[in-house]
Amino acid sequence: MTLRTLVLSAVVAVAALGFGWSLFTALERWLATPPAAVADGGGEAVLGVATPGDDVARITVTLYFASADGLGLQGVEYQVPLAATPAEQARAIVEAQLRTRPAEPLLATVPEGVTLRGVYLSERGDAFVDLDGAVRTTHPGGSMYELFTIYAIVNAVTVNLPSVPAVQILIDGQEVDTLAGHVDLRRPLTRNDALIVD
Amino acid sequence: MLLALTVMLAVTAHPAPASQAPGAAALTILTRDGQRTLPLTTLANRDYVTIDELAGLFRLTAREDDLAGGMTLTYAGQTIVLTADQPVVSVAGRLVSLPAPPRRQGARWLVPVEFLPQALGLIYPERLDLRRASRLLVLGDLRVPRVVTRIQAGTTGAQVTFEITPTTTAEVTAGSGGLTVRFDADAIDLSVPTLPAQTFLLAVTAGDTPTTVRLATGPRFSTHRVTTVPADASSSRLVIELLPAITTTEPDTPAAPSASLPAPATPPLLAPAPATGVRTIVIDPGHGGEELGAQGPRGTLEKTVTLGVARRLRTLIETRLGLRVLLTRDDDRTLGLDERAALANNNRADLFISIHANAAVRAAVRGAEVYYLSLDRASREAQRIAEGPATRLPALGGGTRSIDLILWEAAQARHLEQSSVLAGLVEQALRGRVEMSPHAVQQAPFRVLVGANMPAVLVEIGYLSNGEQETALASASYQDQIAQALYDAVARFRDHVERGSTPTPGGGAPEPR
Ligand SMILES: [Zn+2]
Repeated sequence: MTLRTLVLSAVVAVAALGFGWSLFTALERWLATPPAAVADGGGEAVLGVATPGDDVARITVTLYFASADGLGLQGVEYQVPLAATPAEQARAIVEAQLRTRPAEPLLATVPEGVTLRGVYLSERGDAFVDLDGAVRTTHPGGSMYELFTIYAIVNAVTVNLPSVPAVQILIDGQEVDTLAGHVDLRRPLTRNDALIVD
Repeated sequence: MLLALTVMLAVTAHPAPASQAPGAAALTILTRDGQRTLPLTTLANRDYVTIDELAGLFRLTAREDDLAGGMTLTYAGQTIVLTADQPVVSVAGRLVSLPAPPRRQGARWLVPVEFLPQALGLIYPERLDLRRASRLLVLGDLRVPRVVTRIQAGTTGAQVTFEITPTTTAEVTAGSGGLTVRFDADAIDLSVPTLPAQTFLLAVTAGDTPTTVRLATGPRFSTHRVTTVPADASSSRLVIELLPAITTTEPDTPAAPSASLPAPATPPLLAPAPATGVRTIVIDPGHGGEELGAQGPRGTLEKTVTLGVARRLRTLIETRLGLRVLLTRDDDRTLGLDERAALANNNRADLFISIHANAAVRAAVRGAEVYYLSLDRASREAQRIAEGPATRLPALGGGTRSIDLILWEAAQARHLEQSSVLAGLVEQALRGRVEMSPHAVQQAPFRVLVGANMPAVLVEIGYLSNGEQETALASASYQDQIAQALYDAVARFRDHVERGSTPTPGGGAPEPR
């Protein structure tokens, strides 16, 4: 035991407790929001372009798919149901991003059959997108494929919902290190314009 | 010494850690006063210790706060705050990331074993040096060099190389049935690859004491020769050649030299590196074990290709530059991303190169790419927190362990400029030898780069999802071209660092996207 550590301890012990707990209780609150709260916001009607005569209110959003040359993410406009809350709107957008298979020559970047367990928003506005484990088991790997999968979702949410600055992807309700061994998923990711092509 | 006060074990000749029975997993703790063990619980390939046992051994006061779902550990007035399922702990007011969150199992709390150096190490008065691979924790100033064994066996002889870090002297004595190597240290942290017994060498095993290694020699062994080669300022290689009885006229030829081993008899190839600059390089073959990575249409696996290239690159750098090269894995094993960066950090590597092979949504995509880390909002915040007044505290450990003093997340942030220089050199070197992707240099939030406390890049050497590239990636000639290019880039980066020469990016500056 040295004088230095004694002095340190006196200075920081109290601060440690206060700072530590406040941070963690905040985190707990974000993460404790049960996905079930928004679990039924989706539905089958989200797919594709609005049918004439359909009386559900819709908004136009941009979804992201691999470009014809496979080198970038290209935005395409689709319509999704207008939702009552930002969290439900985010959910409708992610549902559409996951389910939509675009017209040739574009390609979807999320493997088929991946389902959305829930979307919720933190107090600071970040979205948590909870995917089922199929996204991991069916993913073909490769850092580029992984970047395309993740940023199609992150961009779809952040571009269409300016109040959401960043998106964190969870798998089976858990925070994960990565989806396929490359992209850091421990933190919310902000929109990636560099991958977007015209 | 704290542990002196605890119950002493009746240790007469405590076994070297490497000879520990593999049964029940335990962390061996070496102290001035002997050896203790801490039981390990392995969950999802990660070693955990219980808070109760930690507290008992290190004299910590553990207090659970049910209301907040947290746990506080206090040592000499300094407090660590843990929260179940949160991979961040507060250590005396500073936030430190753990590779995995603490877990609760009923009344038991488990923390990943990295908690010891990364969190407890910040408030504990003695150095806590964790050797994760050998499940060893060295307390205080004990001299426990890491001794990595490499064996090259041939029909005309065999060669055993011990890489010793930090360097220490060793004495080789011949006895009945073999050789004994005695290291000048308190104990050694020994790793030995498995080898089939053959005519010169039957086995390499930990000796009878904590500081010895025994080579059991085979029927054709007659004599041996010892060479010591400084690998760099902090490590050295002890090479023992096992030779047959001299019946031919070539006794001076090193036994079975191979391209994969630096020949000890040719010092010009192994000129000691200068005291500053690039001395240690960590090469990280992507994926491994259960994590296959990407897969080509004909089944070529990313994990196999990356290991092949990494080994070729190691050979080139070791033999031509004489630098110390460590692979994060040298076989087909599952290895966490944090462990890869940690290996580089713990060995004070000057350069980190992660090697991967890519897959794209469309099969037509081809070419090599180089990535360095992009800072997202969260990592920029982490960097601010790390540099902010809340954590500007006196440097514990005398400033030699800066990685512990900042958020793990921010480690790479301080090296981004050099990482981008390195990325540019790699791109330039690759372009001369293999096809490049249209986006040759990019930035991305790649997890393996985040915690690397040195210039670091991730190289995607081609697309396995493209049939032609898959064939190339599996071939020795393509792997050699990649290794040669990366070697060229390392050599140029070293010149850049050591001579301050400004590299000239060919074909314009790299264009991050
Ligand atoms: Zn990879």
